[in-house]
Amino acid sequence: MKKLRIDMQALLFLLPFLIVYVLFTIWPMIKGIEMSFYKWTLIKKLKYVGFDNFKRMFQDDQFWAAVWHSTIFVFLTTPTMIALAIGLALIANRKSRLQKLYRSAFFLPSILSVSVASYLGLFMFQPYTGFINGFLHALGILPEGKEVFWLTEPSLAWIAIAALTLWWTVGFNFILYLSAMQEIPDDMYEAASLDGATRGQMFWRITLPMLNPITRTILMLQIIASYKVFLQIYIITGGGPLDSTRPIIQYIYQTGFRKNDLGYAATMSYMLFAILLVLSIIQYVISNRKEAV
Amino acid sequence: MRRKFSTLIGALFLLSLILSACGSSDNSSKDSGGTSSNKTNETASTGSGEKVNLSFWTLFDGGDGDNMQALVDKFNQEHPNIQVKNTKLVWAEYYTKLITAVGAGNGPDIGISHISRLPDLINQGVATELDEAAKEAGVDWSTFNQNILDASVYDTKHYAIPIDTHPFIMYYNKALLKTAGLLGEDGKPIIEQSADGFIKFLTTLKEKLPKGKYPFALSNTNDDPFRLWWALYSQQGGNDVVSDDLKSPEIDTAKAVKAADYIKDLYHKYNFIKLNDPDFYKTFQSGNAAIMMTGVWATGTWEKTKGLEFGAMPIPKIYDQQATWGDAHTIILPTTTNEDPEKRKAALIFANWIADNGQIWAKAGHIPAKPAVFDKPEFKEMPYRSDYVSVASTVKFPKHSDKNWQIRDNAMFKYLNEIWSNKMSSTDAFGKIQTEITKILSE
Repeated sequence: MKKLRIDMQALLFLLPFLIVYVLFTIWPMIKGIEMSFYKWTLIKKLKYVGFDNFKRMFQDDQFWAAVWHSTIFVFLTTPTMIALAIGLALIANRKSRLQKLYRSAFFLPSILSVSVASYLGLFMFQPYTGFINGFLHALGILPEGKEVFWLTEPSLAWIAIAALTLWWTVGFNFILYLSAMQEIPDDMYEAASLDGATRGQMFWRITLPMLNPITRTILMLQIIASYKVFLQIYIITGGGPLDSTRPIIQYIYQTGFRKNDLGYAATMSYMLFAILLVLSIIQYVISNRKEAV
Repeated sequence: MRRKFSTLIGALFLLSLILSACGSSDNSSKDSGGTSSNKTNETASTGSGEKVNLSFWTLFDGGDGDNMQALVDKFNQEHPNIQVKNTKLVWAEYYTKLITAVGAGNGPDIGISHISRLPDLINQGVATELDEAAKEAGVDWSTFNQNILDASVYDTKHYAIPIDTHPFIMYYNKALLKTAGLLGEDGKPIIEQSADGFIKFLTTLKEKLPKGKYPFALSNTNDDPFRLWWALYSQQGGNDVVSDDLKSPEIDTAKAVKAADYIKDLYHKYNFIKLNDPDFYKTFQSGNAAIMMTGVWATGTWEKTKGLEFGAMPIPKIYDQQATWGDAHTIILPTTTNEDPEKRKAALIFANWIADNGQIWAKAGHIPAKPAVFDKPEFKEMPYRSDYVSVASTVKFPKHSDKNWQIRDNAMFKYLNEIWSNKMSSTDAFGKIQTEITKILSE
């Protein structure tokens, strides 16, 4: 009886959030399933089309190209992100006078909004007046009168987008690694140094294995977040040239709101959801098996 | 130390949540602003003879936004019985919001539409036919420029009141042309109006201009080179890229390729244009380019630029006939739940009045839709505009396809950009454009 009362009280406190959550997150998700079976414009649902949207999706080259672009982005940014975050955390974890400066400097870009970060990226990479080309000119690597067009060559554009994203989002992962490093007991290092281990050995044999659990978490979060990449690419290259950097979310957005085809956009959203679900399950199974051993 | 640090992490986490929340709340507050202003109008009395309150959604910002607000204020002052409330929406989201709001029955009484977007709005049931209300409001269709008006008429029915046209024209820097000896006594450029003549003009500029100055400022992607292509294609008699029944692509490939190759050479053969210029407006504005081409809306910007001595003129006649790209702003009456005739009449009185007072709207550079405005002293006093008003009759508007914007964004821009960056031949590009348009039209 008493327990029920406490539960009711808890529910009362949860209610404001719960209502908003159900109304704006759960309900649209359910609605999305319905939409994917209809021809549905911005204004109204037109007609039931069964699995036509799904059939269309499996034959749509542009959809698969966009999925592939998001995948490229995941491959480009996930390993580099983990390496960079560990590197920065190692620097900031050393006993040094600049420790506080390192910590805030590495985290600072993360507080920028996506549009601010992307415009900074544009200023850095644009030809003639951009910082990168100016720097290359100053070093004499790039001859006078020649420009590198970072944003209009597909492979260079990927580098620019990945570099910007790393700089902008590494802060959060850096913090996670830093706190995990501080959780590693000092006596392990002490014992290792008594046994004559070098710094490199300590890093490979102690630090990295001890970071394993957090690495798994970061890996999963990072893959999911990277598949949802949209705004920085939209601002920097617009998905071009020739849609060669257009990620799946941009294609969904264009289909839904520019081409006015919400039904098909919902279908593709659920496909993305399925891809992420499968990846998460694989990840979960693998990490569970490891822990069991 | 450890505990201190974990609180720091917690604080940063919270901070990032708050910051990301700020980003998204921005949109929703704008949204609710729009609908709440609309509701106040719903509740206002609408009986005949009484005061009529109208909601008006616009997509203008900057100079355009100020001029439209000035027009609305002036109208409200002169018409105590009709009060118009102007809600400014963000341009990039305007059409999506208009379409969804009208679909949900919360649309405004008056809206703005580009003339090229009109077919889509009509097809979706957002824009309504106006003939009856126009008769009541005393709109005289013969007072509009025929070329602009024709683009807003569907099967002899009127769907919009055009208030301007904003075509693609050419601007020139008088000081730089003078150094190159290409400025006439009358302050106008000395150009022979032909394909070779224009190249010769630019070649002379390239030879005579000081180092670091470019003959021609134009972007490498999307809108402006597309507009130039459209102008040159139309000058050869090319008529849009879709068939008359709007069901299939219809490109006059020989003309399309000729126009595209001509423009491509400006970039890559003659090097008149700074490649991948990040901001070609700025290149011209800071006096680093002799000519530039864009829409007439730039006139207002150049006027406000200190030390820029410029002139404006129609795009030179490179081929057989005078023609250019252009769009137009029109006023539409979106579908509402009760279709109140009093409101519709009042709305068209307002729309017609806006078109009549084009001299205020022309401040940003637009060409008024009613030729009578050209003779008003306030209009004549403004420089530059009169040099290009003739263009209103030579704008080649797109055909009435509801897929105009999709074709432009997803077929034309995409492959033309490849030509401008010298990665695809014009013939290949138009082959791909043809396939892409077929696909868009079949969806």
